Amino acid sequence: MDLNFTPEEQAFRTQIRAWVAENLPKDISHKVHNALRLTKEDMQRWARILGAKGWHGWAWPKEFGGPGWSAIQKHLFEEECALAGAPRVVPFGPVMVAPVIMAFGTPEQQRRFLPDIMSGKVWWSQGYSEPGSGSDLASVKTKAERKGDYYLVNGQKTWTTLGQYGDWIFCLVRTSNEGKPQTGISFLLIDMKSPGVSVRPIITMDGEHEVNEVWFDNVEVPADQLIGEENKGWTYAKHLLAHERTNIADVNRAKRELERLKRIAKAEGVYDDVRFRDEIAKLEVEVVALEMMVLRVLSAEKSGKAALDVAGLLKIRGSEIQQRYSELMMLAAGPASVPFIREAMEAGWQGDMAGVTFVAPLAGTYFNMRKTTIYGGSNEVQRNIVAQTVLG
Amino acid sequence: MDFDFSDDQEMLRDTVRKWVAKAYTFERRREIVKAGGFSKDAWAGLAELGLTGLAVPEAQGGMGFGPVDAMVVMEELGRGIVLEPFAPVALVAASLLGAGPAPTAEPWLRGIAEGRERVVLAHQERAARYRLAHVETTATLARGAWQLNGTKTVVPGGTHAGAFIVPARVSGAADDAAGIALFLVSRGTAGVTLRGYPTQDGASAADLTLSNAEAIELLPPGPAFEALEHAIDIGIAALCAEAVGAMDQLVAVTVEYMNTRKQFGVAIATFQALRHRIADVKMQLELARSMSYFASLKLNEPAPARRRALAQAKFQLGQSMRFVGQQCIQLHGGIGVTDEYSASHYFKRLTVMEMSYGDSMHQLGEVSARMQDTAGVFA
Repeated sequence: MDLNFTPEEQAFRTQIRAWVAENLPKDISHKVHNALRLTKEDMQRWARILGAKGWHGWAWPKEFGGPGWSAIQKHLFEEECALAGAPRVVPFGPVMVAPVIMAFGTPEQQRRFLPDIMSGKVWWSQGYSEPGSGSDLASVKTKAERKGDYYLVNGQKTWTTLGQYGDWIFCLVRTSNEGKPQTGISFLLIDMKSPGVSVRPIITMDGEHEVNEVWFDNVEVPADQLIGEENKGWTYAKHLLAHERTNIADVNRAKRELERLKRIAKAEGVYDDVRFRDEIAKLEVEVVALEMMVLRVLSAEKSGKAALDVAGLLKIRGSEIQQRYSELMMLAAGPASVPFIREAMEAGWQGDMAGVTFVAPLAGTYFNMRKTTIYGGSNEVQRNIVAQTVLG
Repeated sequence: MDFDFSDDQEMLRDTVRKWVAKAYTFERRREIVKAGGFSKDAWAGLAELGLTGLAVPEAQGGMGFGPVDAMVVMEELGRGIVLEPFAPVALVAASLLGAGPAPTAEPWLRGIAEGRERVVLAHQERAARYRLAHVETTATLARGAWQLNGTKTVVPGGTHAGAFIVPARVSGAADDAAGIALFLVSRGTAGVTLRGYPTQDGASAADLTLSNAEAIELLPPGPAFEALEHAIDIGIAALCAEAVGAMDQLVAVTVEYMNTRKQFGVAIATFQALRHRIADVKMQLELARSMSYFASLKLNEPAPARRRALAQAKFQLGQSMRFVGQQCIQLHGGIGVTDEYSASHYFKRLTVMEMSYGDSMHQLGEVSARMQDTAGVFA
């Protein structure tokens, strides 16, 4: 047993740190460190910088143009990016659909889609959830009927994160009503510029436009955009969800945000208040324990000895921690969190309430973070899964 | 970064687990509790396996093993809620003796490794709570010899120890760490009185009263307090591992019960309220295991980083021990509160561990006071 990274791993970290320091635009990291509003252009600029280096798909194997890093190298890369204040890579392309295309797509589909994902050129969205589906994804109703060399798609997806920027969307669609709900689902790639696709915003309680409804009205989708076999989409989706749930601990961001919480608490004069400081101390222990759990998973993956099945625990704990730090940040500012000044969340805002600038996003972030225990399989669904592994 | 156990460590675990399963059954443990919470045979068994010399250097007849080996042993002893003061003697006292001058320490270290001797740290005082620097017991030099006066409380396995390591004040006010030295007091010395009693978890402890009791200085002021803090951290790491073993077993027993106990015609493991509870129990257990690793792996770091880490670990363990203990009793229902069934004995041990080496509130204070601008495992 050894807590420390090997000299090779540490050298790798140093190399990544230097690269990020040199290539991450300062105006973008400033926004991330202060939770200011990121534009589409900000996110794409960073995606393209990573893409030019071949790192937008940092978890990809070499055969598809990725760096072929080990689990630990991927972790170190993610940590260095997070701590430096890089925006979270929008995961739908490089993290979610790309592994499915690699595992189940045809060589032609791989050639057609993967390079544009790696370069950051094409923005992907996720079309899983539907009105009424909640955590029960297999209930998809969006219908795809085979008509010769195309599918005719009708239905509605929802909670489509940043779908307003999407070029393409990967969807679970119903191609059969026979048998169990899971067996009639197919995995379809759809060009969002196709006639009949429309995107409508959902404004969340923080006042922001982050999620959308996506409507499909007689959309014709060429049949060569089906992944794998018809009615096997559920298998492919599960492959993808496994990816989503290990990333969802988001411990690197938690470390960065805990440091930010301390800065805010100092600036607001509550860092030396015993009751407030103890709450930060409790959160600090939670973050260390979560990080240790993540490191245990990585170590198990590295040695291949005994796989550690704690994905559900990581999702539950990671999301609870995200909610807690955002809550404590808001409470640290106290009454200064109450004004709702939308413009103050833009970088460089010079309003007449300068005292509010620093804390303007805090309440909004707290409101926004309520989603974390709901998405990706609600924490209650995760507890069912954990209980299944414990009780059999 | 690697959390795998070596083949030797897996063998060590296997050896201890087999010994616990054979020599420390629940029925056998019940007999030991009745007999006062200590068994000479059990101690001899641990010595035979070489375990009492686990942390004693090879030059003094021990195995010279490190923190991870100790963690493996403690997990398995925790699984069987072994009552004998293994960690206080073989890990905590051995570490303090190892820091002392060889001529004084060596005979005791050899005795511990061979299983002939038990030495324990007697540091707690009634008014000190968990503050290590609060020492009212005094040490004065009279005619070239040190004489100690004061009372130490809840000394683990006190009535079964041959000698005590005693922090005593040579100068300064009651909370002054710089005025504390460490002394070695033999049990048979004139002026040493022991009052033994059972503890809530079925083990034994004693109050140690010293009236002009003659003592040998083990470490002078300065090094004494550093060694004391380090030894307590060794005790915390051992306790974390012991608690993980105990919780592992308690959860296993609870899961088995949930799958067999029927209510309203079905196994209670089918009820979602209870399924979510056991998921939360599993969460606390895995957080505890993660922090137990963290504790042992940080033991050899420089003092400030070590102290911070061990306080974080003990705080997490405090949360986990309380939740896992209380909920596993609750999940059992009535049978959980009986003396007859094993769950209550695990719960009592977990509760006593909360009050050993600083409880959760104390540790939270330590974490809070030692917080850095950075955060995380490598902060």
